[in-house]
Amino acid sequence: MRVPDSLWGIRCVWLRYFDAFKKDLSYYIVTMFSEPVLYLLSFGLGIGSLVGALEVHGQSISYRSFVFSGILGQTLLFQGFFEASYGGFIRMYYQKIFHAMAVTPITLSEVLWGELLWDATKSVTAAEVVAIIGVITGDFAPITPLAVLPLCFLSSLLFSGLGLAVAAFSQTIDQISYPQYLLVFPMFLFCGVFYPVETLPKSLQLFAWVFPLTSVNSLLRTITLGFPFQIASVPILGVWLVALVFGSRRLMFRRLVK
Amino acid sequence: MDISVDKTRANMTPLKIAQLSKRYQQQSGRFTDAVCDVSFEVHAGECFGLLGPNGAGKSTTIHCVSGFYPATSGAVFIEGYNTYNEPKSARRALGICPQEDTLDTDFAVLDQLVRYATFFRISVPEGRRRALALLERFGLQGRAKERVDSLSGGMRRRLQVARSLISDPKVLVLDEPTTGLDPEVRRVVWGILRECRDRGTAILLSTHYMEEAERLCDRVAIIHKGRILDIDSPEALISKHIMKETIEEEVRPGIVWKRPPNLEDVYLKLTGSKLGVMDV
Repeated sequence: MRVPDSLWGIRCVWLRYFDAFKKDLSYYIVTMFSEPVLYLLSFGLGIGSLVGALEVHGQSISYRSFVFSGILGQTLLFQGFFEASYGGFIRMYYQKIFHAMAVTPITLSEVLWGELLWDATKSVTAAEVVAIIGVITGDFAPITPLAVLPLCFLSSLLFSGLGLAVAAFSQTIDQISYPQYLLVFPMFLFCGVFYPVETLPKSLQLFAWVFPLTSVNSLLRTITLGFPFQIASVPILGVWLVALVFGSRRLMFRRLVK
Repeated sequence: MDISVDKTRANMTPLKIAQLSKRYQQQSGRFTDAVCDVSFEVHAGECFGLLGPNGAGKSTTIHCVSGFYPATSGAVFIEGYNTYNEPKSARRALGICPQEDTLDTDFAVLDQLVRYATFFRISVPEGRRRALALLERFGLQGRAKERVDSLSGGMRRRLQVARSLISDPKVLVLDEPTTGLDPEVRRVVWGILRECRDRGTAILLSTHYMEEAERLCDRVAIIHKGRILDIDSPEALISKHIMKETIEEEVRPGIVWKRPPNLEDVYLKLTGSKLGVMDV
């Protein structure tokens, strides 16, 4: 297959999502940005003024800055996962958009790339808004939004892959709740969003490192706050990224194509 | 662009199904032979009907025709392109109206036709022109700005048939296109399909409406349990399989209808269905 042809197909799919997004802009702005902003306000200002400074890796850092970076990771997780899982399931199962597009000169493979890239786009956009707020409040350096962009993109693709795999696996929309409560919420609470993973008991730390959000947060804090680079996070992230992106596509193919 | 390629493709059979078989695993784990060794060609300007009961393999055949499902063995060619291996080339000439409603509920009626046209690399102004003309023909012109959700079931069906025509396809595949349409609208759709056929479109029509098949189709394949039982023109099928000039049928106690035999009699006889208790 010629590459430009495939890219054109993926672009068609992405544009379909983007145009739907533009039509419902107020809805998307509320759902995309209210959540991270509420967390920022509640944890950054509320708990932040209670805790003051943290001592992490021999470095003193304000809790507000620490949690701002965590919210960045959490935003990537939530926006990517929920758009791909619930959104993807609705588009695949109820709207049958995949079926509609994949009988035109656009292939199912391109539809799924378009889906993942759109979910990632949404997730990165929301995360960038958090990064920009962090710059405005003086918690991040001005270069941060640009510096975190590549990592944000790969992480959002990873979490979108997780969401799409869940969508492909779920027989009903309610079943998406299982991984949401058993995987996404534990990651949110144990993978270094609100406190350093190092404060957990050793066994739980090991457990936290298995999940990709810990690596994402570790790398993000290296960029945003100058925390020491933890090399293990790179292979962990890489393995999850490849497994979830290609695994979710495979699962979706298996579900749709008999 | 590739004029040399187009020239050689011009004389090819628009739609060719060659020894197509499709076996797949059900959720229970059991294997089903949905389509077994099905072969036929649909020529330019021909309407070919696939007639069979629910579960006969019509929709599976159509999923293979669009290249969405791979064939277990055999192949489908549109203008010489294998629809599964070369879907992008094959589907450029294909317009498809699936059985299930796949309209895009996020967009208004006109918008989604124009968008669908762009999937075939048709420019937005040209897509708009075609879409408006189609809406007019299908009696949906007053609905251009409405969301799909606000349309009735019959209107949605019409819109979906209209959408399959937006790329002016050489091969048109319709899976039970008039299900849920009232008799008047059904006739409008039949009229449009006849026009397409007369302009040289190859049409593959799956239906379980006998009247539809009899009126529209130049040839009909009667398909049952994944196999083609016979292929011929409706008239030839009737004279071949039904030996009587008149069918007598007791519709209510004491009321007997006398009518000429039709495709339904052939269908019931070949598929061995006992739905109509008559001896033909």
